[in-house]
Amino acid sequence: MQGGSTGIGYGLKYQARCIADVKADTDHTSFLTGTLSLKEENEVHLIRLSSAGTELICEGLFSHPNEIWDLASCPFDQRIFSTVFSSGETYGAAIWQIPELYGQLNSPQLEKIAALDAHSSKIKCTLWWPTGRHDKLVSIDEQNLFLWSFDTSKKNAQVQSQESAGVLHSLSGGAWDPHDYNALALTCESSVQLWDLRTMKKTNSIDHPHVRNLDYNVKRKFMLVTAEDESGIHIWDLRMLKFPVLELPGHAHWTWTVKCNPEYEDLILSAGTDSAVNLWRASPPSGDKPSSESFDSPNRPVDPLLNSYSDYEDSVYGLAWSYREPWIFASLSYDGRVVVESTKPHLPRK
Amino acid sequence: MGEDDVPLDDKAKRMRDLLSSFYSPDHPNSTSMSPKATSRFATLDTINTTSFDADQYMNLLVQKSNLEGLLQRHVEMAAEIKNLDTDLQMLVYENYNKFVSATDTIKRMNNNIVGMETNMEQLLEKIMSVQSRSDGVNTSLFEKREHIEKLHRTRNLLRKVQFIYDLPARLAKCIKSEAYADAVKYYTGAMPIFKAYGDSSFQECKRASEEAVAIIIKALQGKVFSDSESIQARAEAVMLLKQLDFPVNNLKVQLFKKLEEFLVDLHLESKEIRHSSSDLGGIPLSPSSCAHEASIREFAEAVRAYRVIFPDSEQQLFRLAKSLATKHFEATQQYIKKQLASADLVGMLRVTWTHVLLMDEVLPEAGLRDFTFEAAHVAIKQYVASRFSHLLLDFSGTLVKVHDNQKGVIEEEYPLQVALEISKNALVQGSMDALLDFRRLLDENLEVLSALTDLIIDWVQEGFQDFFRKLNDQFLVLSGKKYSANQDLIFGEGDKVLPGLVLLLAQLSVFIEQNAITRISEEISSLSGGGSRGHDNGPAFIPAEICRIFQSAGEELLQHYISLKTRKILILLKKRFTTPNWVKHKEPREVHMFIDLLLQELDTILNEVKQILPEGLHRKHRRTDSNGSNTSSRSNPLRDDKLVRSNTQKARSQLLESHLAKLFKQKMEIFTKVEHTQESVVTAIIKLFLKSLQEFVRLQTFNRSGFQQIQLDIHFLKTTLKDTAEDEAAVDFLLDEVIVAAAERCLDPIPLESAILDRLTQAKLAKNSEQSPAS
Repeated sequence: MQGGSTGIGYGLKYQARCIADVKADTDHTSFLTGTLSLKEENEVHLIRLSSAGTELICEGLFSHPNEIWDLASCPFDQRIFSTVFSSGETYGAAIWQIPELYGQLNSPQLEKIAALDAHSSKIKCTLWWPTGRHDKLVSIDEQNLFLWSFDTSKKNAQVQSQESAGVLHSLSGGAWDPHDYNALALTCESSVQLWDLRTMKKTNSIDHPHVRNLDYNVKRKFMLVTAEDESGIHIWDLRMLKFPVLELPGHAHWTWTVKCNPEYEDLILSAGTDSAVNLWRASPPSGDKPSSESFDSPNRPVDPLLNSYSDYEDSVYGLAWSYREPWIFASLSYDGRVVVESTKPHLPRK
Repeated sequence: MGEDDVPLDDKAKRMRDLLSSFYSPDHPNSTSMSPKATSRFATLDTINTTSFDADQYMNLLVQKSNLEGLLQRHVEMAAEIKNLDTDLQMLVYENYNKFVSATDTIKRMNNNIVGMETNMEQLLEKIMSVQSRSDGVNTSLFEKREHIEKLHRTRNLLRKVQFIYDLPARLAKCIKSEAYADAVKYYTGAMPIFKAYGDSSFQECKRASEEAVAIIIKALQGKVFSDSESIQARAEAVMLLKQLDFPVNNLKVQLFKKLEEFLVDLHLESKEIRHSSSDLGGIPLSPSSCAHEASIREFAEAVRAYRVIFPDSEQQLFRLAKSLATKHFEATQQYIKKQLASADLVGMLRVTWTHVLLMDEVLPEAGLRDFTFEAAHVAIKQYVASRFSHLLLDFSGTLVKVHDNQKGVIEEEYPLQVALEISKNALVQGSMDALLDFRRLLDENLEVLSALTDLIIDWVQEGFQDFFRKLNDQFLVLSGKKYSANQDLIFGEGDKVLPGLVLLLAQLSVFIEQNAITRISEEISSLSGGGSRGHDNGPAFIPAEICRIFQSAGEELLQHYISLKTRKILILLKKRFTTPNWVKHKEPREVHMFIDLLLQELDTILNEVKQILPEGLHRKHRRTDSNGSNTSSRSNPLRDDKLVRSNTQKARSQLLESHLAKLFKQKMEIFTKVEHTQESVVTAIIKLFLKSLQEFVRLQTFNRSGFQQIQLDIHFLKTTLKDTAEDEAAVDFLLDEVIVAAAERCLDPIPLESAILDRLTQAKLAKNSEQSPAS
């Protein structure tokens, strides 16, 4: 409410939950979003930040058959992305390609390259191999983990391996370790599970319930950030899973998602159902001692909360850093508003 | 100077020769003068000098003076000449007399000397005859004298022998009369003889006297050890023993040992006294301690004696005295460990101090006072520290008890309230007791303590600062917010923490911040007697900092309580939304069971909160007055709008968006700062619950019946929550939001008619009221 909006806005027609940075697009800062509408025809928007950085331009508008619950952009081909969708009781996940000549067509259709149709329960999310041209993909449903081998030229995807996490665990999401491409972290009801993709086995787990979202620190090895329903944000060292290294207060209601900045190692962005996006600087203590001094703010030299962007009108579910311009992030609130903000005023002077 | 100027031309040299011959040769200096200088300095004054030249003078006079002057000068000079003539005459007359008398004297001397020679010769003769006579006498008497001298020597020798033969008897006599000093004198006198001839002629004698001396030594030893003898006598005895070549060091060691033993015995005694005094209820000056003091006095006497007897043993005695003090302090420290009341501590210190003073009198050089000061410094510091650790321990003990009580089923009506009161009292009382103890320490008129007053105040302040910091830590550990490094604490993981306890701690923090700190800081400021001397060195008690810590702790704990409760509700919600298949939901028949569970949970929260937190009525009024009414009036028509038409067209949903946008102008109201009041906490929990409900709804897809079920549940909640929540507007708004969200996520959102809603709600209410009296 205070200060007014500093970001650049863009309105989707319907409610929406997911936004993703188009990593493969090295020429522009662009994002993909998908809408979530039960009754209307859903859309995927390709949004590009104008070169002056003052305007968001719709580069493409594609209709999508079902409401989109998750969306991930292919890290090596800007025209490929994957979605998780459902409608009523049906669900599915697919890899899509944006048609080449979409500029000329009036209402271009997305080309479905492959359907990830091996799932037997509700699909939660898809994860691309973090960087580079690896045509591997992971999809997670409530109980199972699938590793797909995806062939761009043949346009099909095959299950490479699959493993069940057990009925009781009810997986909800995950993240791919950018430092160790065989490691995967999954969130489930009562813990965070760490998986090895070579053996397709669980290697370890953090017994920490109600984790809603997690992200690896791209710059710092062994650092995992988790977001919980009530207790905010925790930062873990994967070598010491017993206690979190650092704890941040999080949001007034659920902390829905966390994203580590791809360039500035201590910068963390979180979005919550209290209609706010918080920018944190969390420098975990260098010592081994698990410190929870974040409670006693007088002892800390700086407030970890750099800024709180509260100019949203509904819960914020979608959040994405731009890889091209790592000080820029896009956020998406439930009412379909995309806001692109620059964190530059809050960054440490270098 | 003249020689230096030798290298001059001949003309100048001749000139100088001339001049030197003219002036007297005795004055080489004047000869060196240049003629110009002579003429220049030839003034009229030269008349009185030796180098007076009448002609020159005349010339000068004629040149310088006029006629008048010359005439006058002439007259003057004539007069002067006349005067000089008369003076000369006078001198001649006076000295003439002297010459005459001198001549007379010389004449007389000549006459006297003539007869002297003969007299002298006569004298010489006489002296010669005297000398020869005396030589004669000398030679005639020499033999006799020699004899007498021999006899005398023999007599002396005999006397000595006699003495040695008499020695045993004499010694025996001395022993009888206890004149040991004489005996020793005799014996030592005879020693050299015994040494020289003891093996031969005086064997018998030697043996006998040695026996006697052995007796003497024994007697002396006895004397040294007997306490009844005067110190002087004992010192003398030791001196005598030393003269007898007795190994005194052994004696010294023995005596010292005796002193040490005394010290050990003494401390056994002192411990008993401690016991008895503490049994008597902390009266330190009981009769037994008087006796104790007497014994110390005795000890001091003994030490004094020892010191006099063995003057070179000071260091040892110092050590002894120090060990006495150390022992005292060791005992004190042991008692400190056993949580001693300050009165007892003061008592002990007093006893120690009196002892030290006694010892100090005897051994002023031992530096015992300083030593004691240091030791007291350490002891009191320890005492303060232990007092605080005990305080912390006691208090956490109280909390643990509360915790345990919570765990067990307690039949009391308001267990939390009671517990809060108990812990409040425990804290305040504990702190006050501690302060009282410290005050007692400070009020004591003991020299040791008064020297340490400033330090004690500092320590107390530091102690409190530290105590509250630790307490805060403990609160956090207790509440499971902090991961304690040592998990041996009774409370294990965070999930086992009881919300009630957290709430209690939260309220306790508020109490500490608002009440306890002020009271304690008042007390502390009265301790330092208004002076700021305690403040300038070291970090003292900073109430503001503590207040800040506890304020934030209070907020955190309250937040933690809320989140604990919310977590519980969240589990309920999760179950509710993940179990049924909402797309194939059956038509709603009654309000769902989970609402009951929820209300039950709310009831327990309400119960806990009511016990501990104060009411905050004023807030409620203000909130409803200001913006509550107009929010609800705005949201209500919207809901109707929305429910009827939301499934129609896109345009409608865009309209909805704008409506939503308007509505969300209020959004900041949803998550307001939680205050320490019943209503605020309950409202916060309800708000969080409703928001979570909304989020859960958003994640589902409903069929018509599912939507209607939600609608019914919310309708029911609306009627029930009205009474409990403080921020009615926000709650209403959130309830509407849930329905909006459900409608959005519904494939076929046709709401139930309000008549049916009311009927079902009434039915539920009736059923509830039926059940509650029954149960």
